[in-house]
Amino acid sequence: MNGLRATNALTKRELIRQTRQPSRIIASVATPLLIWLFIVGGFSRSIGSVADSNASIGAYTIPGMASLTVMFASIFAAISLIQDRHDGVLRAALVSPAPRWSIAMSKISAGSILALIQALIVLLTLPFLGISITPMGIVGAIAGLACISIALIGLGLALAWMVDSTQGFHGVMNALLMPMWLTSGAVFPVEDSAGWLKIIALINPLTWTHTAIRASLGMDTGFSPTLAWTISIAFAIFGIALATFTISRTKQSKS
Amino acid sequence: MSAIDLTNIRVVYHTRKTGDRIALDNFSLNSDNEMLALLGPNGAGKSTLLNVISQTITPGSGSLNTPRSRQSLAVVFQTPALDELLTVRENLLVAGALHDLPKNETTTRIESIAAELGLADRLDDQIRRLSGGLARRADLARALIPHPTVLLLDEPTTGLDIDARRIFWETLDHTRARLEMTVLMATHITEEAEHADRVLMIRDGRTIKDGTPADLKSSLGQRIIRISLSNDAETAHASDWLSENSVEHITTNHLVIGHHADPSLATTCPVETAAITIAPPTLADVYTYYAQSPSCEPTTESLI
Repeated sequence: MNGLRATNALTKRELIRQTRQPSRIIASVATPLLIWLFIVGGFSRSIGSVADSNASIGAYTIPGMASLTVMFASIFAAISLIQDRHDGVLRAALVSPAPRWSIAMSKISAGSILALIQALIVLLTLPFLGISITPMGIVGAIAGLACISIALIGLGLALAWMVDSTQGFHGVMNALLMPMWLTSGAVFPVEDSAGWLKIIALINPLTWTHTAIRASLGMDTGFSPTLAWTISIAFAIFGIALATFTISRTKQSKS
Repeated sequence: MSAIDLTNIRVVYHTRKTGDRIALDNFSLNSDNEMLALLGPNGAGKSTLLNVISQTITPGSGSLNTPRSRQSLAVVFQTPALDELLTVRENLLVAGALHDLPKNETTTRIESIAAELGLADRLDDQIRRLSGGLARRADLARALIPHPTVLLLDEPTTGLDIDARRIFWETLDHTRARLEMTVLMATHITEEAEHADRVLMIRDGRTIKDGTPADLKSSLGQRIIRISLSNDAETAHASDWLSENSVEHITTNHLVIGHHADPSLATTCPVETAAITIAPPTLADVYTYYAQSPSCEPTTESLI
């Protein structure tokens, strides 16, 4: 059994589920857009354009808002694992001959597809903010967001498998992901930030995915795009590896 | 080779709060082409045993020999393992894919199983639109899609009303008559265990009695005496009285059960407030008796 048929079926199942509960998709897009309106409405007059960048604060923060959209969608995808494992169809999947990695891959692929559709809606506001986007630019930005989505869903799935309760999962994810997002240059350029913050930003993989996305969209960045893409892709691979490894482990009794 | 063959399986759960807890203690089981009920209270080890057989828990020691099981094993859980937002058909297609069945083959099986289980006209309804009984039948259909040779049922009628239970059992009996299956059912409901060919009573992760429902009941004689009392003193008094009349018995929670009872005992009990019944033993009586009987300490050996 190669697991592809199971992966496809479980992915399709996830997508059907989402189309039948559109409120979840609307919530994932609306929250980042509201945060963006708050930031831009509150700070654009005092900040104007971003130093070392050709973008206004409104345009500069859009990749960050797209990644926030992806982050929310990724959290939803990971949480669904906990529910499915206890009450849903995953119990049948776990006792079936389908390889465990098919469960992880279906969650990652379906979650990423949904996250990217939502993020694309956010990205399409850029032309209205003075940034002209090309098809290649959009493809590059989507690829960067895909790296975030794959990595965060993978991370979330591994955590959801270990934490085993939605309350615990929320707590850990909020403590981990929100600081990661805030220190990644999502809403301010980290290149000129204070020394300690810059160090945190440099070891934060989201900083590099944001750099890769901005570079694809033709915005000036303070870091090398090649390095940014390398780290972004490595982050995604890490997410897949962590999720498949964690979910593939069978519960082992003490001897 | 048997469909299920376990030898000296030991499973120990460990938590920081409670330390080690033995869920299965050198547990052995052999079953083939029969319906076997695992009867025991909550925490006896029933679900753990099903998890071991379905290979979602790796035992700490012992050998597990279920060569065909992973490919053709199915589990019906306490609540349906179905996606409520998907239709019955969509859920069954997922079940087929999980067993690597081509879509055409799954579609053929769906039509035939749905017709058999009376779901043909509900295939395109979302699970959340179905009653509890219909959802349970849809879950049984999900389990039957791979044509399993081993079917595990984990308290399968939990939450169902009397009619839905009856229909579930009729459906399962009908399916068993058609397919050659080994069915293992965990339950704490003795009436459900009556459906089985063989009953394995377990406590603290070990076998305390094993036999057909009829054999188990006859092991307590044609009639038992069941005396319900209201306090410890009365319980002790009734116990002494049965001993004086040479009736082997057990006492538990202000209840005294004696076996091979003479009907005349009903009129001679010295405890006036006692509620006495003399009747053929039920599986509930058998379980209560052997679970409390000091002469029936848990054993790893099969008793038949």
